Amino acid sequence: MDIKALLSDLQNFYTLAYRGLLGIVRRPFYFKDAMIQMDYAGAGSLVIVFIVDLFVGMALSLQLSAELSSLGMKMYIGMIVGISVVRELGPVVTALVFTGRVGAGMASELGSMVLGHQVDTIRVFGFDPVKKLVVPRIVSSLIMLPALTVIGVAVSLLGGYYIAVFVSHQSGTFYWSSIRNILTMENVLAGAIKPFIFGYLISSICCYMGLSTKGGAVGLRQSTTMAVVMSIVMIIISDFLLTRVLLYVLGFSV
Amino acid sequence: MIVFDGVSFSYGSRRVLRDVHLSVGFHERVAVLGGSGEGKTTILRLILGLIKPDEGRILIEGDDITAKREEELRDVRMKFSIVFQEGALFDSLDVKENVAYCLREYTSMSEEEIDSRVREILGSVGVEQAIHLMPEELSGGMHRRVSIARSLALGTPKMFLYDEPTTGLDPVNADNICRLIADLSKDGRGFIMVTHKVSDALKVADRFIFLKDGSLLFDGDSRGLLHTDAPEIRMFIEEIGHQGQGC
Repeated sequence: MDIKALLSDLQNFYTLAYRGLLGIVRRPFYFKDAMIQMDYAGAGSLVIVFIVDLFVGMALSLQLSAELSSLGMKMYIGMIVGISVVRELGPVVTALVFTGRVGAGMASELGSMVLGHQVDTIRVFGFDPVKKLVVPRIVSSLIMLPALTVIGVAVSLLGGYYIAVFVSHQSGTFYWSSIRNILTMENVLAGAIKPFIFGYLISSICCYMGLSTKGGAVGLRQSTTMAVVMSIVMIIISDFLLTRVLLYVLGFSV
Repeated sequence: MIVFDGVSFSYGSRRVLRDVHLSVGFHERVAVLGGSGEGKTTILRLILGLIKPDEGRILIEGDDITAKREEELRDVRMKFSIVFQEGALFDSLDVKENVAYCLREYTSMSEEEIDSRVREILGSVGVEQAIHLMPEELSGGMHRRVSIARSLALGTPKMFLYDEPTTGLDPVNADNICRLIADLSKDGRGFIMVTHKVSDALKVADRFIFLKDGSLLFDGDSRGLLHTDAPEIRMFIEEIGHQGQGC
């Protein structure tokens, strides 16, 4: 790809992401479209988020149990699982699941709408495709990804509890009291801000890739793949940057 | 009047239109002919401002649309009614919701009024029975009819634009669509029909434009088209021999 095309793509992406964000507070509002997207993104992703986060929590608890038992510190399972899940794994894993299910869906749906002239039809009817197609998807991601993350974190902690109590034979009461202790404002904030940023990134990237689709079935495959790959990369990079900033802002010493 | 004043357009490095000069009245029944990739659909997209020319101007009723921003183009687009290739129906919505799409957004009609209006429009194009079907359940011909119905929902446009309206249809369905196109232009409203099927174009159009290598190779009536010596056009005319004379 030549530099000019890359810069042009970046400019178009930033414009779309900016207009998508601005569209949330500017008329016209398409509530019904946003509700349909929320149903697809939220209710539709619940089961997969539940399964993935449950097993991530169990695997983490199992790994910690194996390592901490050799040090005689198995009682810290709850605390470490809690911090890892609330601050890091819960938001990131849920965002990755969201990318695979919802982000890929956004890119392929918009891509096929472009190829089938449905986006042109929307423009001919006098609607702004960003307002009509992108803003509802950004809104649904900004609302549903944080909601799914809360559920995912709870389920992960539950998975950790199962392993801690029934495999490592730790006290369940102590596990939950450790979790309660780490649920400080700083820890919760460190995990709660991420899903909003991830949701915005995923929806903007996937909508942009979908709307940039060219060239039939092969083009659709490329744009969908690119949407998922770019979203995953951006989630991982932004997670690191956010962690660095949040640790500093929230007063954690590193 | 639609005026193309020295319009050129490229998709990347591939130039599809070169310095095109063209004037079409809103009352004219025009068929744009040519092979695949010759820029036929590009002409329709340029008229609607969906893409901007690289060079030249496009005037719609004297108004230069090339410099207009997206939000300023709405009034221009409302003058036209376009039926895209294969219908471009919203596949997540059933036939009724496809036709009611603009009614819901731009009018304050009640549910009963919308239902009644949708049935009336679908009836006028002969597909009222398909009102509750999803787009994937429609045949090719019904797809085009519903698409035409949807384009009529907000009222009568000044001109119709058809992008390959009969492509992929069997001869009977193609004939029905041609008849519908002719019926819709009976009251003096014209159309621009992009097609590579000369036989269908001859059934409905009065003026024929043939595109070759991004330029207008022919612009005239059916008589001139049928008697031209240009070998590229002769090849298209041969098609009539295979499919049967339509007029």
